[in-house]
Amino acid sequence: MLAFLTRRLGHMLFTMLVASFLIFAMSEWSPGSVARKQLGQFATQEQVDLLTERLGLDRPVIVRYFEWLGGVLTGDLGMSTRFKEPVNDIIWDRLGNTAILAAIAFAIIVPASIILGVLAGTAEGSVLDRSISLGAIVTTSVPEFASGVFLASIFVIWLGWLPGTSTLDPTSQYSLASQLVLPVAVMVLYDLGYVVRMVRASMVEVMTRPYIRTAMLKGLAFRDVVMRHALRNALIAPFTVILLQINYLVIGVVVVEAVFAYPGFGRMMLDAALFKDVALIEAGGLVAVFIAVTTQVVGDIGYMMLNPRIRIH
Amino acid sequence: MATSDDRKVHPYIPKLVEQLEARRVGRRDFLRTATLLGLSAPAAYGIAGRILGDGAVPAARAQASPKQGGVLKVSMRVPELKNPHTFSWVYDSNTVRQVNDYLTRTGVDNITRPWLLQSWEASDDLKTWTLNLRDDVTWNNGEPLVADQIIWNIERMLDPDVGSSWLGLMEAFLLDKQGERTVLWDANAIEKVDDHTIRLNGKSPQLAIPENLFHYPALMLWPEENGEWGPGSVGTGAFTCETVEVGKRVVLKPRSDYWGEGPYLDELQFLDHGDDPFAEASALSSRQVEGQYECNITQLPILQQVPHLQMHEVVTAQTGVVRMKVGAAPFDDPRVRKAMRMALDTRKLLQIGHAGIGGPGEHHHVSPIHPEYAEVPFMEQDIEGAKALLAEAGFPDGLNVEHRITVPNNPAWEQITVQACVEMWREAGINVDINIVPEAQYWEVWTQVPFGFTRWTHRPLGVMVLGLAYRSGVPWNETDYNNPEFEELLAKAEATLDVDERRTIMADIERLMLEDGPIAIPLWRGLFSFWDKKVQGFDHHPTSYIFAENLWLDDQA
Repeated sequence: MLAFLTRRLGHMLFTMLVASFLIFAMSEWSPGSVARKQLGQFATQEQVDLLTERLGLDRPVIVRYFEWLGGVLTGDLGMSTRFKEPVNDIIWDRLGNTAILAAIAFAIIVPASIILGVLAGTAEGSVLDRSISLGAIVTTSVPEFASGVFLASIFVIWLGWLPGTSTLDPTSQYSLASQLVLPVAVMVLYDLGYVVRMVRASMVEVMTRPYIRTAMLKGLAFRDVVMRHALRNALIAPFTVILLQINYLVIGVVVVEAVFAYPGFGRMMLDAALFKDVALIEAGGLVAVFIAVTTQVVGDIGYMMLNPRIRIH
Repeated sequence: MATSDDRKVHPYIPKLVEQLEARRVGRRDFLRTATLLGLSAPAAYGIAGRILGDGAVPAARAQASPKQGGVLKVSMRVPELKNPHTFSWVYDSNTVRQVNDYLTRTGVDNITRPWLLQSWEASDDLKTWTLNLRDDVTWNNGEPLVADQIIWNIERMLDPDVGSSWLGLMEAFLLDKQGERTVLWDANAIEKVDDHTIRLNGKSPQLAIPENLFHYPALMLWPEENGEWGPGSVGTGAFTCETVEVGKRVVLKPRSDYWGEGPYLDELQFLDHGDDPFAEASALSSRQVEGQYECNITQLPILQQVPHLQMHEVVTAQTGVVRMKVGAAPFDDPRVRKAMRMALDTRKLLQIGHAGIGGPGEHHHVSPIHPEYAEVPFMEQDIEGAKALLAEAGFPDGLNVEHRITVPNNPAWEQITVQACVEMWREAGINVDINIVPEAQYWEVWTQVPFGFTRWTHRPLGVMVLGLAYRSGVPWNETDYNNPEFEELLAKAEATLDVDERRTIMADIERLMLEDGPIAIPLWRGLFSFWDKKVQGFDHHPTSYIFAENLWLDDQA
């Protein structure tokens, strides 16, 4: 187990290193220079060159990369050129905001998808199953920017029940909770259907197993069969899928955060990418890779615990 | 605003009054030129009112007296604000402007008036400008406003190491090149006469000093802060800054010892909703904010439906130009350039590209709101004429333009407009392909591409843009236009104070641009924004500047 963890940790560090270099190199080739973006349309080329020099952006990418890497190892993530503040002062706050959003969405998605998935999976082909499956496909196929604008048009512009943006402004006449409703709703709508379908498929498969038939034949109530025998086995496959949703919920919610002006990690990354703010993109990239790899490791360990046939060495 | 009677009046002013009496200048041109030459705005309005008999009251609006109190929230990007003198975008300055002032203010009527100044006087040759400071202005730390503080600001903005864009505006007037750097052309260029009087001794005539003093980075900062700005900064404005959270919000509090009128609000906030225009529209709809900096054209249909919002609109000289490098074939033939213009129906382009908000483009880059705008025959769409010109230029079977037209991907109206132009050109047998690039990339190549679409901002005088963009050899001449006849006329216009005379020269310039010029102009942009009906005292300024000390909230509205 310890060897497994050490190996995964090494793997994770290596992935982060490679990813960080790729991000650095890629932002080098993306169009538009940082100095031009800061100075705007009417700056002269001399001014642009001067700022480029002052920011040290005229030095080779490899030199700047290793300089930055040295900083990261000592806990200094560099200066954000977009926000003109140390990355450390920006990123954790934004990540915290996104974590709130993700946690609420996750707390809804997991139980809801298990309940709906089990209901559909245990009654394969029924009207209930068909309705749940259809609903799941529809909500998953509608992109977030569409469902975001759609929900806002109904609840904000037409009915006027909810705030249109979620800036987490404490002085707003809308409570913080009400500001979270729409972004969470869009994330749940978008993500729920996929997980429901995974749980359903797994449930359908388990329900055809001989041991379930045996349990039914020996006279156990259907409810007990599902709860005591089918569920644990049916959740082994979706478990990894559910954990992978954390990736989406934390580092993939760019669109939702932009549509609702939510001051989170996704909007920060969008701003940083549009502005070519390499230090911030890098730090965000590392966080993203870290979350991705961590959820995978947790997924592997959880998988092992759920399924005694698998042992990790 | 009292004006001392014994003050020397610019010799041109009596002539201007005569012209107004003979109705040879309009009311607005009279006001503009008279105030430009140092007559105080109330005095100018008074004269105009006396002569034209339309009342001496300057633009008093029938509205209730302002109410005190309330929190006003405005949606606007919140960038980093530490160095006001180097700001590149207007919205940067909108926060700092509530705390720090300009020496002058150009009103929504395009007339510039003194602000921190009591008055100004220009010499006959327009080379010497005397700036008289008000003596009742205090900084929010209680200190009085004196000339040394202003001189410090002016010198700092002219320091090439600071990198203020104000330097470019003043270079021809006050600076000399010394190798790579610029220095003051004369040791006495910025002269302190006394504690409330500063004299600018220029090396060449300059018509637009008051307008230049209203350039968005030309904010008067407290010298001891050394050009750095932030929460708690000292200023002469009506508000003090409490919080700046980049990308999130700014909180400003009113000053209790403000020397001017207002402020009426208990608190002013700017909230950042990011680049997605829908977020801003949602915030306005759900009353999370009561106003916005500028409305994106895509949100117009939504916001027009919202009953508690009022649309504010202003026509400006902001535009985008289809610019053709005169050295790049086929644009080296003036007939082709003219055919490109003739194929466009700018009235339709205004409808398609900007929802009808603004004015139909006139291809000479002098806007109807400019004082020296001359009415020359409007260039109507003439497909057959364009085809005939092309045939004459050697393209009887139509023209495939080998250069793609490069267009920035943002804001949206620019792409839409260019697409509509392309359709119109096709009717005249001119085939053009579009090359859309990220906005930031466009500003790296905007002076280099052979064929492109460049936005130009509003400037209060017609001669200003023409000098910046079409004089040979200047850095922003993106078309490489080089026409000695044009330059001779322009130089004459720039040195002509007389509005009538200048307009006659402008008529020649405009005709020349229509015939030979390197650009086509699809539309003059109208700017607009939506504000809650309870917000009073707001007018959308042609530069989108916000002056929050005028704003107040009427909960009954």
